[in-house]
Amino acid sequence: MEHSKHKVLPRSLWTALFHPWVWRMAWRDSRSQRLRLVVFSLAIVSGIAALTAIHSLKASVERGIAVEAKALLGSDLRVSSRKEIGANEIEKLAGMASQVSRETSFPSMMRFLPDGGARLMQVRGIAGGYPFYGKVETRPVDAWNKLRDGGGVLVEPAILDQFSAQIGDEVELGGIRLRILGLVDKPAPRGNRFSGFAPEVYVNLADIERSGLLTQNSMAGYQVHLKLSGGQASRVLKERVRDEFPDTRWRLETPEDRRENLGDALDNFQKFLGLIALTSLALGAIGVAGAVHAHVTRRIQTIGILRCLGCPGYMAFGIYLAQAMALGLLGAILGAGLGIVMQMGLLVALDDELPISVAPSPEWKIALQTTATGFAVCCGFALLPLMRIREISPAVTLRSGGSLKGGFLRSLPIYALLVGLLVMVAYGNDPNWRRALAMVGGLTVAFLALVAVARGLMEVSRRVLAPRWPYLIRQGVSNLHRPGNQTLLFLLSLGLGTFLLVTILSAGKLLNGRLNIQQSEESPNLYLIDVQPDQVAGVEAVLEAKELPVMESVPMVTMRVQSINGVEVGEATGVPRWVARREFRSTYRDSLNLTETLIAGELASERADPNGIVELSLEEKIAKDLKVGIGDEITMDVQGILIRTKVTSIRRVDWSRFNLNFFMVFPPGVLEDAPGVNVVTTRTPTPAASGELQRELAGQFANVTAIDLTLILETVRDLLAKISTVITILAGFTVLAGLPILIGTLLNGRDVRLKESVLLRTLGASAKQVRIILVIEYAALGLLSALSGILLAVVANGVLATFFFKASPWPDAGLLLAAFGTVTMIAVLGGLALSRGVCHHPPLEILRGGS
Amino acid sequence: MSFLSSTTLESAPSDVKRPILKVTALRKTHQTAADDLTVLMDVSLSLDAGDTLAIVGPSGSGKTTLLGLCAGLDDASAGSVELAGLALESLGQDARAALRNRLVGFVFQNFQLIPTLTAIENVLVPLELRGESGGQAEAKKLLTEVGLGDRLDHYPLQLSGGEQQRVALARAFIHRPKILFADEPTGNLDSGTSGPIVEMLFDLNREAGTALVLVTHDPALAAKARRVVTMSGGTIVSEEENGAL
Repeated sequence: MEHSKHKVLPRSLWTALFHPWVWRMAWRDSRSQRLRLVVFSLAIVSGIAALTAIHSLKASVERGIAVEAKALLGSDLRVSSRKEIGANEIEKLAGMASQVSRETSFPSMMRFLPDGGARLMQVRGIAGGYPFYGKVETRPVDAWNKLRDGGGVLVEPAILDQFSAQIGDEVELGGIRLRILGLVDKPAPRGNRFSGFAPEVYVNLADIERSGLLTQNSMAGYQVHLKLSGGQASRVLKERVRDEFPDTRWRLETPEDRRENLGDALDNFQKFLGLIALTSLALGAIGVAGAVHAHVTRRIQTIGILRCLGCPGYMAFGIYLAQAMALGLLGAILGAGLGIVMQMGLLVALDDELPISVAPSPEWKIALQTTATGFAVCCGFALLPLMRIREISPAVTLRSGGSLKGGFLRSLPIYALLVGLLVMVAYGNDPNWRRALAMVGGLTVAFLALVAVARGLMEVSRRVLAPRWPYLIRQGVSNLHRPGNQTLLFLLSLGLGTFLLVTILSAGKLLNGRLNIQQSEESPNLYLIDVQPDQVAGVEAVLEAKELPVMESVPMVTMRVQSINGVEVGEATGVPRWVARREFRSTYRDSLNLTETLIAGELASERADPNGIVELSLEEKIAKDLKVGIGDEITMDVQGILIRTKVTSIRRVDWSRFNLNFFMVFPPGVLEDAPGVNVVTTRTPTPAASGELQRELAGQFANVTAIDLTLILETVRDLLAKISTVITILAGFTVLAGLPILIGTLLNGRDVRLKESVLLRTLGASAKQVRIILVIEYAALGLLSALSGILLAVVANGVLATFFFKASPWPDAGLLLAAFGTVTMIAVLGGLALSRGVCHHPPLEILRGGS
Repeated sequence: MSFLSSTTLESAPSDVKRPILKVTALRKTHQTAADDLTVLMDVSLSLDAGDTLAIVGPSGSGKTTLLGLCAGLDDASAGSVELAGLALESLGQDARAALRNRLVGFVFQNFQLIPTLTAIENVLVPLELRGESGGQAEAKKLLTEVGLGDRLDHYPLQLSGGEQQRVALARAFIHRPKILFADEPTGNLDSGTSGPIVEMLFDLNREAGTALVLVTHDPALAAKARRVVTMSGGTIVSEEENGAL
């Protein structure tokens, strides 16, 4: 014999995967199915495209947000001091940075000339190119540049309204007269939210030094703004400054510090991106599992023949694993490519909408990572149906009608592998183990619930079926439990797909809703400070007369920390030095406000023991700084009187919402007699209304100071609106990723029902009868998939809302109804489409074994 | 018909008296929701190398089940099958597959060609599974001998039933099996087509010493085998020898 050139056959799956025959057979086997396999690979393509696009966008958005955070600070490092920063120190600081700018700010009276009123202003004298990031928006647009030449001031629009002044008018500041050069629509970043108790006015620092104002002012604050050259980390600069100026009491702030202050909006955004990336990948993976299942089912006879001819199980398995790997790799590469195109396209198309200030460019590293991740997840999910190949007996060649068998227990290691893989992906998306485990746990629970529903449906359909039912209904219902039924696969793919999609859309909706709240009327934009207790009613009456809401009216008492657990605060281990210096403004009340969440203990609604220790509620971050928890004692120095307190509750505060919040909250019945002031907040619709209110208050309550936060709120609102847009777009991606699941499920159903329906046609069934049978089956499957998926999504939405996004757990009924209607309708239409295919197919073609 | 005239045969006629297949007290029971269904009950038989055996009987008598168990395609509930001296029940699925690849050929009633492979690729599969390359010339010769020399690159769907069965025969012969199992090899063919197929089967037996196990309803085909066992209700009810053979 000439054909005896032996090559050692592989002895394991691993070696089989490197054997040319396995790959040759995989290629040959795909011959009649290439188009179908390409359609199936779409499941992978869209899933990975969504994953790549989301991760790339996430990276770009994060970079953009980092830039925005820089814009919120205006520099890479802000050095603030109560004492003047000396020329030598500034020179040394300048040596560490590429650019340096100085600022001095202080409160001072400003008089509008020739005979206008005067009011206390927060003067900001700036020298140099500050802000280095972001832009000060003025009217006229070149007013900021003119300010740098000196001889003028820039004021907030409401002030101009309040004093009926105009651009070009003169004001007197200290000993000098300056001209109003323009209005500030978007201010330079402030030191902090309450850096001034008065409206801001911008002046050239040289003019301030000329005015002589500073020599008389002890309230001045001095800042040096530093800009780094590209690639240097501001965190490193911060540490270097701390090391080189150990004896100073400077406050150092970086963009990262400022970014944290954006509150939970960004945190929620991160969580949502993590959720959406995991979901789109899971959707793609379900699509892959369904597609491979359908493919292997069609190949049962071929596998049986191969086994009959002596093909070991691992080699038969290797052939289809090789196909799945090739498809997975192709799909992953195509998906990553498409993802890059989508990311770039979105960045270009939504240039003005996204918070991106970098040029759109591909995130190659992320594309590579997501390709590898997607490939691994695809292969992992393909293993579920592939494992059943080993269960295909060669005896299927003797009888027709073999089906894929395989118990859950045998597949348990694969499920464990997949759970592990998904947890890793979830952690990669959102680096928080608890959340990663919770997300994958949720998916697992949904999976098991759907398996239970499918098994229940099969059992119920078997039991309820009665011989007196009309034939068509009996046939349709019987299809739900007969051998070769598609109940489990349909429920798992369409049910899980519905669950994931509705969860994402609901989460997107509740997150957007939350962002809207943050941008909405709930946030005050005008703070009225220093309202004496006997003036509160009068101030509120003024607001009422002007039809402005009293959003909050709270008492405020200043105090210092004297000791912690009996140790003087200056000597307490691990407690920062600034705690001893800080004057805390605290309040008293008996309940939480809208922006607070209790995370430990209970808020005292009253003082339990009038002569005993006082219950104290701390904000979580200050509790960390003070190194205290529930039960620890803190002695407060309330303007000379020592009050012993015990921490009885810890609150989380959403600082992004600009409501009045406090580090320390006392119960009623402790601070009422302490000298204090009230703060009243309201919301004015226009700068003119704000100016008018301030003018009237100045007339009636001269001591009351108004802080207008409109401009700062606009900046934050702008960012939140951009995040909201991105969320809506990304939720749309997931819908795209879900489509192939639908196609895969319907195609699989076609395989299952085509031959049977053609046989019915051959035996004389009318097209209408075939259609009714299929529609009954598909309607039952669609209804139950939609219902199960939606119910699971409602539960998931509740959990996400309560534990992740801190929002209302009630889902949008409109969305649920729309999802229910759409999924059911698509399933019924799928059944109809199949019946159409049957009625237009020559029966002989099917009966001879073609398809 | 000199179907195998040019092939070099590994098995010599001297092997004739050694049993290639030995079945002892074979039983097969299917578990159903209602009850256990025994389709094969304590069947025993033996077949010497180079011998021919026809299994006949009515539908549902257990013929195909017995054939499947003899070839190691399925697991018996009890009893033993020895193929070339190896007890199949002691072998794993992959070891049985390797044994089939080495010693066994198959011909099925419904041909069982792989639909995605061409005629010549189908014929080459047993050799490829052995890791042998360079069998194209041999496969081409076999296909030419069965009258399909001009249909090498046709897919099964492009061939008639008789042509498909001839491809299946060429596939069964390409690796020179010691025993060939044929399940209703002419069941799907008309008399004009089935004649040459039967001739080829018995040529192989005569010229290569390949033992032949046939499951058939066709008395004429059964009469060509040296021994005929008749099954009914899962047991062997009679066994005859055809003296002519």
